[in-house]
Amino acid sequence: MKTINANTKIATLLKESPDALEAVISISPKFNKLRNPLLRKLMAARTSINMASKVGGCTANDFFKKLEPLGFTIDKNIIADDSTEQKQVPEFVQNITVADIVELDVRAEIESGKDPLNLIMKAVKQLQPGQVLKLINSFEPVPLILLLEKQGFESYSETVNDNLVHTFFHKSQATPIKEADTSKAGEGWDEMLQRFTDKMETVDVRQLEMPLPMLTILDALEKLPDEKALYVIHKRIPVFLLPELTERKFDYRIKEVADGEVYLLIFRT
Amino acid sequence: MVASATNTTVKNTSYKVVLPFYLYAAISFLTATIFLLTSTEAFTGHYFQPQILAITHIMTLGWGTMIILGASHQLVPVLIESKLYSNILAYTSFILAAIGIPLLVYGFNIFDMGWPAQFGGWFVVLAILSYLINIAISMAKSKNESIHAVFVFTATIWLFLTTILGLAQVYNFTKLILPKGSLHYLTLHAHAGIIGWFLLLIMGIASRLIPMFLISKYSNVKLLRWIYGLINSALLLFVALFLYPGSEALLFIPVITIFIAIGLFIYYCYCAYQQRIRKQVDEQIKLSLLSVLMLLLPVLLLIIVIVFLISVSREQLNLILSYGFIIFFGWITAIILGMTFKTLPFIVWNKVYHHRSGLGKTPNPKDLFNSSIFKAIAIIYISGFILFATGILLGTTMLLKTGAIFLLLTAVLYNWNVLKVFMHKPEQL
Repeated sequence: MKTINANTKIATLLKESPDALEAVISISPKFNKLRNPLLRKLMAARTSINMASKVGGCTANDFFKKLEPLGFTIDKNIIADDSTEQKQVPEFVQNITVADIVELDVRAEIESGKDPLNLIMKAVKQLQPGQVLKLINSFEPVPLILLLEKQGFESYSETVNDNLVHTFFHKSQATPIKEADTSKAGEGWDEMLQRFTDKMETVDVRQLEMPLPMLTILDALEKLPDEKALYVIHKRIPVFLLPELTERKFDYRIKEVADGEVYLLIFRT
Repeated sequence: MVASATNTTVKNTSYKVVLPFYLYAAISFLTATIFLLTSTEAFTGHYFQPQILAITHIMTLGWGTMIILGASHQLVPVLIESKLYSNILAYTSFILAAIGIPLLVYGFNIFDMGWPAQFGGWFVVLAILSYLINIAISMAKSKNESIHAVFVFTATIWLFLTTILGLAQVYNFTKLILPKGSLHYLTLHAHAGIIGWFLLLIMGIASRLIPMFLISKYSNVKLLRWIYGLINSALLLFVALFLYPGSEALLFIPVITIFIAIGLFIYYCYCAYQQRIRKQVDEQIKLSLLSVLMLLLPVLLLIIVIVFLISVSREQLNLILSYGFIIFFGWITAIILGMTFKTLPFIVWNKVYHHRSGLGKTPNPKDLFNSSIFKAIAIIYISGFILFATGILLGTTMLLKTGAIFLLLTAVLYNWNVLKVFMHKPEQL
């Protein structure tokens, strides 16, 4: 079985062992969210054991205790990448004026099983210089914090109670808003996935025999509405499909999770 | 869990196994064309002579067989929806062949059937045996049966028999182990190789790849079974006629049978072409389809050769030479030139980008090679081929020389384009 450590992603656990889901959920009721397939897909790939233990109010050891019986080997020597250490209240929060705060409550969205990411990103993009986004949520949105930090945002989380966390996001003046990101060639899988979160059609071609996967995908693309993206679950990177996509004016992003597990996101250029 | 268990068995063969074969083949092609240019004189005489034996074996083993072995290590697992049994056997097969082929060719070139040729022969036989075992176990372990893989497997058995007979012929020069002289067995050796190995194998693989590259829904397993049956019975009949010779007219039966099989195969490709979704056919596929049509030439020549054999009881040497030339430098070379750039860029793309694909936009696999160079290759190659073949038929040294220069140029450009793919560095993401 796989060796895991504090930095191992939850998605890896779930993939390695079918029992890992229940084991993780049993650690903290907060992890009940993982039962929601959408949130699971969204969170698990971005959240490490260490990050999850912060959200769940437990420690990485609580995870290891539950996971060891499932056959995972634990490597405790690896120290967690601690980039989300609780900081002092940063300056931007101290200097906030109420007028500059944009509030966004995503609790209802999450309860109903929807991914709030699009909503959040929209709000983030609309932030005026000097404004601060106050995200109201039921847990500390660690993956989101990391994602936005990469884009030059400062953040600060304040736990009001067990079910209420306020997180403040602020764009530091020095770094320009990455508006160009949406059109840049270097745009990665995660960003594109966000862009098409609500606008995806899924096709699973893993069980099809060659050359049916390619024909199925091309068929699906023909019927694909302009603004939508096609999410393909494949066994391997379909290299021969790629030139066909370019020819048909489609662009693509590929995510290879493991041998035999590849995802593609195909959209119009 | 069940789904992921079946998924893990689907695994691409590592590029590390496949790429050496491609590189070796490219260098062999270049070597063969250099030999061709320096020994054009030989093509005005008898076909059983040192340089021609050397060139033929660089072409059949170093060029044709090596690239097929490389590609099929990648392709067979895809055909049988399983993984290659052993990378070690694949490396073994490469190393043995890589050492054996130059030894053998060296032996032929100086016409000394002593230890270099004998060792070379052994190495080649063992290389093919490793490949045969690897393919056989991979297929046995897979639950999926594929008619294409059956073609490949049967072809490999024929290749194995061809190399065994070849080895015996080499030994037969120094110690009589066969009932007759080595030259006597040349037609058997050559046709077990040409029909059993190349024709069967190329049809097996092309019948999958051509529809795939044309993006065609066409599939006709029944027709492929017929083709398979016809080729194998023709070859078995040919072997029987060889061992128990009767009237030479009987040779028409296997020839006509092969002719029908080729006709059916062309029909198969035509149907795939008709039902294609991709309207614009790219240059590589055009060259591959041309190669399929080129198959008709040697059959027609063969019929003429047999007619001569019967009517004037004499071998038409230039016809036989051009027969061999059309097969190795025509049909086989054309399909390899086309298919190389339909497979190699994708293998290298996978090597360079599959780990980084999630990061962002990746270049198109087909942009890894230079398509203008490819067009030049196609044009220069076809001109060189026609010039040289005409040169053999007419016995004109000037035509042979010019043709050989064109073919050498083809090989240089081909190597350049192949190296360009090999050297591809990932773009900054």
